[in-house]
Amino acid sequence: MREVENANPTILNVSQLPSRSRKATKPRQGPDSKCDHIVYSKRPWLCESSSSEEEDLEEEYGEDPVDAQDIYDLISPISDPEHPHTLGQLSVVRLPDIHLTPPPAERRGHSLVTVTVDLTPTINHCSLATVIGLAVRCRLEQALPPNYRVDVRMKDGSHAQDDQVNKQLGDKERVAAALENDTLKGMLDKMLETCV
Amino acid sequence: MPPISLHPLATFTPDLYTRAWQSTPHPYLPLLATTHDKTVTVFSLVDFSKHSSLTGGHSRSIRSCAWQPSPSSSSSQSNQSKLRLVTGSFDSTAGIWTYNPSAALEKPITTTNKDDDGGGEDEEEWEFTLVLEGHENELKSLSFSPSGQYLATCSRDKSIWIWEHLTGSEDDEEEEEEDWETVAVLNEHDGDVKTVAFAPQFPTEKKHNGRRYGSDVLASGSYDDTVRMWREDQDGEWTCVGVLGGHEGTRKRRRMGGMKRGRGERGIGGIGGRWGGIPNTMRRSLREEWECKGELPKVHTREIYSVAWSGRTGLVATGGGDGMVVVYEEDGETGRWEVKARVEMAHGPYEINHVVWCRRFDKGVMEGREEEMLVTTGDDGVVRAWEVRMGE
Repeated sequence: MREVENANPTILNVSQLPSRSRKATKPRQGPDSKCDHIVYSKRPWLCESSSSEEEDLEEEYGEDPVDAQDIYDLISPISDPEHPHTLGQLSVVRLPDIHLTPPPAERRGHSLVTVTVDLTPTINHCSLATVIGLAVRCRLEQALPPNYRVDVRMKDGSHAQDDQVNKQLGDKERVAAALENDTLKGMLDKMLETCV
Repeated sequence: MPPISLHPLATFTPDLYTRAWQSTPHPYLPLLATTHDKTVTVFSLVDFSKHSSLTGGHSRSIRSCAWQPSPSSSSSQSNQSKLRLVTGSFDSTAGIWTYNPSAALEKPITTTNKDDDGGGEDEEEWEFTLVLEGHENELKSLSFSPSGQYLATCSRDKSIWIWEHLTGSEDDEEEEEEDWETVAVLNEHDGDVKTVAFAPQFPTEKKHNGRRYGSDVLASGSYDDTVRMWREDQDGEWTCVGVLGGHEGTRKRRRMGGMKRGRGERGIGGIGGRWGGIPNTMRRSLREEWECKGELPKVHTREIYSVAWSGRTGLVATGGGDGMVVVYEEDGETGRWEVKARVEMAHGPYEINHVVWCRRFDKGVMEGREEEMLVTTGDDGVVRAWEVRMGE
């Protein structure tokens, strides 16, 4: 077994994660949120997040144009390859680091939409950064319509070998070949299990 | 200069709508080979229908393929009838395929349009005759020297391998054994080697008279942001004779466009939206001087995956991740490259992986005229042919 590189990452409670529904009903403040960790303690990232995600998928093909929250909801439930938590909980994926061009309001027809996701690996030397990036790219390419282009990068300065990782993640041939690698594919499937 | 426009001419319909990587026209027969998944589908350029398919040779996707040019006209005619296609796969091998049935060879390949209802036997028409092993990782590209003698393959393992096809004695009729030998392994690139291309030769081209090197020049484009030029020296060693930089921001696709008579070679390299054209000054010194002669205007908004230069018209076409196909022409007076035509969403919302110029064999061409079309290959698995209209 490989060593866990970051044994004590900061973990967000699921209730702390950005979500459209919660935002819509009421801003998260006040004493009730203190109980969230009790209320949602039963592996909430498995049941709770997956159901909300299905709704979002419906929205995606309906009237509402896809926005950053939709993207967040698609990728935040991906499991980290070395911690029993999701990328959302570990803040590897953050809502403010997701950008869509053009923004939803300015889109017309089926023109191209570019989704940019900047990832923040839990520590500086995370060797699994590429795998995480690959999982995010795969998840989005599978879930989004074909006119979406996905760019996944390491957030500036968050990773020691940014350039190399970014280059690999942006390389269509490498990504395609990686998905035909059984070991890697098995790993990705496991990470994406929590998304379905 | 007259305007140019692109019009949809025909669609080659795949068996499966999965990503297709590349479509390679045969050097002179009306055949087009498209790689997708672990298969190559061969289409007829006469009626745009499926001709045959190559299946079962590779365990992972086939990324690229190349037709072996027939041995030079001086060698025996009998060899010419043997169609040979080489496939480069993510399984890190290259496969050699030969098209066997002499009876079947006659019918669908002739330029006269006729229906081919041989059906069902397609799969056996192609024989997977040999596997070229040696690369450690997936093959990205391969190219034949104009004579068909040398094959270059390149891989993520940073190396380029040169293979020589040993044809044996000319009259050894039933020489069924495929004989390929590794003549060089070139390790000078620091990153994945994304593409290799031999410069094509035209009959009008002057022989490269250098005593040091042979006439075949090979170009390779790599992840390390350089393009390297290679030649075989008099001792049969393959040597890097030039390094071209200047492609910041990395990108791969460079393709040896071709040779214009008397003007040297033109290679075109691409970088996420920026381009450089590089003709050769053909020095005979040890190191050749290559000079960037032109840059294509930036049109694409995402990576450019493919460039094609036409030896016939001098036009350059590009295709990329933004789904756009662009055609450029060099202004004869200023030497600047200008955008002459563009088609957005040429494959709907899908990315375009490959563009290539291809001679037309269909009925729409006036008799006695030689016309070219542009063929684009997309992530939708569809291959499209575009008519190029000038002066409209």
